Amino acid sequence: MLSETIDLHMNEMPYPPPEHVLEAAREALTKLNRYADPEEMGRLRELLAQYAGVPPRYLVLSPGSDLLLREIIHTFSQGRKVVTVSPSFFPTVQAVKQFAPRRLSMRLSPPTFDLERDLMMDALDEPSLLIVDNPNNPTGRMLLDRRMVEAIAERRDVFFVIDEAYYEFSGTTFADMVADCPRLAIIRTMDKAFSLAGARIGYAIAGEVFLDAISDFYPFLPRPSLYAAMAALRNSGYMRENVRQIVEERERLQQALCEGDEGDLLGTRVYPSNTNFLLVRTKVPDVARRLREAGVLVSDMSRQLPPGFIRVSVGTPEENDAFLAAYKSLLIQ
Amino acid sequence: MKKTVGLIVNPVAGMGGSVGLKGTDGEMYEKALALGAEPVTPKRTSDLLAHIEHKGALTWLVAPGKMGERYVAERDVPFSVIEEVGEETSPQDTKRIAEKMVERGVELLIFVGGDGTARDIYDAVDSEVPVVGVPAGVKVFSSAFALSARAAAEMVDAFVEGAEVTEEEVLDIDEEAFREDRLASRLYGYLLVPEVRTSLQPGKAASNVSKSSTESKQEIAAYIVEQMDPETLYLLGPGTTLRAVTDELDLPKTLLGVDAVRAGELVGEDVNESDILSLFERYEKRKIVVTPIGGNGFIFGRGSKQFTPTVIRQVGRENVIVVGTRRKLNDLDCLRVDTGDLALDEALSGHMRVTVGYREEMMVTVRC
Repeated sequence: MLSETIDLHMNEMPYPPPEHVLEAAREALTKLNRYADPEEMGRLRELLAQYAGVPPRYLVLSPGSDLLLREIIHTFSQGRKVVTVSPSFFPTVQAVKQFAPRRLSMRLSPPTFDLERDLMMDALDEPSLLIVDNPNNPTGRMLLDRRMVEAIAERRDVFFVIDEAYYEFSGTTFADMVADCPRLAIIRTMDKAFSLAGARIGYAIAGEVFLDAISDFYPFLPRPSLYAAMAALRNSGYMRENVRQIVEERERLQQALCEGDEGDLLGTRVYPSNTNFLLVRTKVPDVARRLREAGVLVSDMSRQLPPGFIRVSVGTPEENDAFLAAYKSLLIQ
Repeated sequence: MKKTVGLIVNPVAGMGGSVGLKGTDGEMYEKALALGAEPVTPKRTSDLLAHIEHKGALTWLVAPGKMGERYVAERDVPFSVIEEVGEETSPQDTKRIAEKMVERGVELLIFVGGDGTARDIYDAVDSEVPVVGVPAGVKVFSSAFALSARAAAEMVDAFVEGAEVTEEEVLDIDEEAFREDRLASRLYGYLLVPEVRTSLQPGKAASNVSKSSTESKQEIAAYIVEQMDPETLYLLGPGTTLRAVTDELDLPKTLLGVDAVRAGELVGEDVNESDILSLFERYEKRKIVVTPIGGNGFIFGRGSKQFTPTVIRQVGRENVIVVGTRRKLNDLDCLRVDTGDLALDEALSGHMRVTVGYREEMMVTVRC
């Protein structure tokens, strides 16, 4: 048992925010008796627009990207079939189940977890709200390419939401298409790459159809979150360096799990990832619970995938080593 | 009042695995021994007993020696031994002891073994008492098993706490075929198991939309019945999901067989291929409704004697309706077909829509 629990189950950045971001959040604390200033909200929108390379008018802010997804599902599922992939970001799955009267999920099958274009086009046989996380959580895989997005964007009866929560790790975005595609929305978050999970800043880069319906959802954000986000965007070098390190560690972790005579660690399978986590399939029974008992938290995927799948967030080199040691000790038990 | 719990351990289960055999049915047990196989059941049984939290609420009725007694005797728990066995144990011992345990009034029967053991238990107890299956065999495909010894302990605790029970599948895997790396299985029966709601991941909010498997099946059934066309003949395959459909229609269901329904009436009970073909002479519009076998995903396997290639061809791929709970689908890599007719298997492959809830579908890959 390790002295401190190692948290590798929420895909957070293991490094805390830099000093200039903490300083900004502290400054906001002195004004906690007041709501955030609309002008400051506007400034964050401008900074995010600049960061995303789109005009500010397409930006919608929210306290967490999951809430934005929830609102979109709630608002746009009436009279439309909601089409998702399975597995997917769990709050999306829950919101669809809760709000959508008609639902179709496209099962991503191991070992490749590909989303086939023909399958997707077959699924969109009636007016639909399509939600795809790209890269996908928990497989880490890119599901969409530009030709697929263009083909769907042409469909007048399909509203299309792409969840790009892990954009900074994948480097792939379709945000530039929003201005020309009124029925396309990109959902992003500052929770992950910017080390701001506790601040809960989500945003949409939304086409006209979505803007009309969702732009008034959240007039205010918590002031410390707002200030922290602006400071993080004004100097994003720290974030970029952390992302580079996490990607490097991800590759090392994957390599370590693939050691062994047959290119795997006693039957452990790791799937290539474009995010800050790895999907792992193991033959060790009860692996998530046993790792938890050993002081390492990982995500048990048994609610969405066959038994034996876990999702492991990439942590600091020390945290990843501790996970590897705990996992290897389970393998030889 | 303490609850009486039975324990039967199949001491040879799982021994084939370490020496590369796929099961210890028949002569394979001798071969496993000759290859130096070690028993795997002691650790599984000890793990189970170590992780039951409500130990104080139980009194044990156990099979003799290595079939159970040995493990509970090591612990400070009240127990009594039932029946006798020789040095070498057999499936007959399992069946006989299980039957006696039911006669003696056990409220829950725990067994440690593989698919073969589950079949023996099913033969003996059917659905008279709920069971908990601890996986220790080389072949453990039946969904009646817990995922691990610890998960089995959780099920025992859930039972003590008054959990509902649900029917789970017992499969008959053709061991000969399995050794040739071909999975041929058929549904053998159902055992009652305590239902444990999926434990939540730490840090995640509780889902307010989780449903029991019974509720999910009722949802599926309501949707299927709502879509039924009175002119069409529906051939309802085996399984509890299909029984939910006949329950919705207020009709009886042959759990392990195929029943035919049209316009809300039963027009064929436990039909075989020739019955089905003669129904086809009367009814031109036909649909098959099937559910995949849990754990391996077969919708049409070599074991389904009724849905022969001739029957499936006369119905057509577009008229095959697949249903299954989301939980069952999540446990599968894909759906499978193995009708014994390669061209048909290929035609059935690709993607199919599976009804997983009320107005809820999942598109799933079908492989052969």
